[in-house]
Amino acid sequence: MFRRFLTRFFLRFGLAAFTLLALGPVVWAVVTSLLPLSSLTARPIDLNPANITIENYILVLDSSRGLFSGLINSFIIALFTSAVGLVIGSMAAYALARLNMPNSNRILMMILATQMFPGIVIVIPLFLVMSRTRLVDTHFGLIIVYLSFILPIVIWILKGFFESVPMELERAAAVDGASPLQTFRYIVLPISLPPLFATGVFAFIEAWNEFFFAIILTRIHVKTASIAIAEFSGQYQTLYGQMLASAVLASIPVVALAIIFRRFILEGFVEGAIKA
Amino acid sequence: MATLELINIVKKFGDFTAVDNVNLRVEEGEFVTLLGPSGCGKSTLLNMTAGLEDVTSGEIHINGKKVNELGPFERDVAMVFQNYALYPHMTVEENIGFSLQLRKRPKNEVRDKVQKVAEMLELDKLMHRLPRELSGGQQQRVAIGRAVIREPSIFLFDEPFSNLDAALRLKTRGEIKELHQRLGVTSIFVTHDQEEALSLSDQIAVLRLGHLEQYGTPEEVYLKPASKYVARFIGTPQMDFFVGEFVSRDGLCYQMGAASIPLPDSIKVPNTPVDVGVRAEFVTLGSTGFDAVIRLVQPVGPFTYVTVDWQGGSVTARVNGVSHMKPKQNIKVEINPEGLLFFDRNTEKRMDLL
Repeated sequence: MFRRFLTRFFLRFGLAAFTLLALGPVVWAVVTSLLPLSSLTARPIDLNPANITIENYILVLDSSRGLFSGLINSFIIALFTSAVGLVIGSMAAYALARLNMPNSNRILMMILATQMFPGIVIVIPLFLVMSRTRLVDTHFGLIIVYLSFILPIVIWILKGFFESVPMELERAAAVDGASPLQTFRYIVLPISLPPLFATGVFAFIEAWNEFFFAIILTRIHVKTASIAIAEFSGQYQTLYGQMLASAVLASIPVVALAIIFRRFILEGFVEGAIKA
Repeated sequence: MATLELINIVKKFGDFTAVDNVNLRVEEGEFVTLLGPSGCGKSTLLNMTAGLEDVTSGEIHINGKKVNELGPFERDVAMVFQNYALYPHMTVEENIGFSLQLRKRPKNEVRDKVQKVAEMLELDKLMHRLPRELSGGQQQRVAIGRAVIREPSIFLFDEPFSNLDAALRLKTRGEIKELHQRLGVTSIFVTHDQEEALSLSDQIAVLRLGHLEQYGTPEEVYLKPASKYVARFIGTPQMDFFVGEFVSRDGLCYQMGAASIPLPDSIKVPNTPVDVGVRAEFVTLGSTGFDAVIRLVQPVGPFTYVTVDWQGGSVTARVNGVSHMKPKQNIKVEINPEGLLFFDRNTEKRMDLL
């Protein structure tokens, strides 16, 4: 009895603490975005609900401020990165998991090795290459760069899943007359939808939130949302209200994705553990 | 329908030889079982026949044509897998019709054929269920349906009953036998269950560590096992073996510890040492024979298996009905010489001495 009480107490306490930690900044961001700068700079901070205003949102959505075009750029880049990443990544992962190619372990290790360099090490050479190939400040350039670090993750996650697909399913398909491509298309892909969604959402979020490469490899045309948000912090003042209003707006697509595909994401990440 | 011939089949995984020079001929319409414990190479042999695994050397002929290079589909074989391998995202109907759909057959033709097969297997009320909504026996029938609809020239079964409980296993066994009688399609069946093999097969191939130990009818492998290994593997309860010697007292005897079995004089006694094996149905307990003490009484319904000991030996007898014998009771044992099997002690091969 007492033990059960203790277990429950600690479980609830832990969950509450975690929720507080996770949601605290979000709540603060929302609150801040709804207050005028004067309330935020007052000492102590003036949290009077009477001051609540959506002025910040109206201001940042003004097309001249760059956030709107930033959101569009981010969306294009994240969408293509995750889509192309899934198509190439799933095929590569399936090949590595199932096609008994020579050296597939070495290929896997090489894919993993590309992840071992911190971004700061490669960013200068990368910039040089990109600028010579005129890819700086283009959607295409940024998509390629994002794919370079998203693909390895996609490949590793999906390879693990494809390996958990029972071999006999694919053998049954072969006996039924399916070619390897048909087996992939009609059997492996449909039963892999949850992990594919999960990985796709993951790739989208990674690309959406990326900041470091975006700030170096873009100038004017392809500024992403994360850069547009950062630009609210100027040399002389930081427009906290607008910055956080932008941040709230920028997180809406990601949160929406997570909610819509919640079931798939959950299934996707536990799938490997249970028998398909 | 087809004949199948395996010629000098070898399969190696690195240094390990899984299948070692197996030769096997399956006639048109025969039901052949590959029987052996796990690791004897029976599933590997089946997979190679299906075209799911390459042979290291040797040739596979179907209808007299070499098929080594052909994929499973071109070999015109259909397979029922151990865990059924039903496509989890497809309904019963789609599972059964998948092979026809791949071949882009007209929709109504597919539907009609699936319907026919489903009716035959009593699946027609479950057409729109997913595999996970079916019982084990129903899943098993879908797997069979998927094979049947192809009208293949050879059926391959890879331990299809191992996931079923005992009662269902017996029922499905009957269904498979009926199916074979009705369709008459050449079938290869893999199992480690000797009773399944005896009850289903026209021919049984007993495998041991990748070798073909014996290939014969159920009667042959039961009554005339080629070796001690086969004798031990086939039949319930397991055959008893005696390590003794031939002696001549008032006529020829086989002496095993304190007991001896009188033998007909017609037996040709070889120079090599000989072990003797006997099945429980040739052992009689009663008031004649040599003395022994009951150790174990195991009723199984129609019979009771009674194990007795004597100094230097032990044997199990099959007694009809429920026996009221008790352990530690003294009893006399008689062994019918007609049921004796002789094995070369060194090679373990059976010898014809009668």
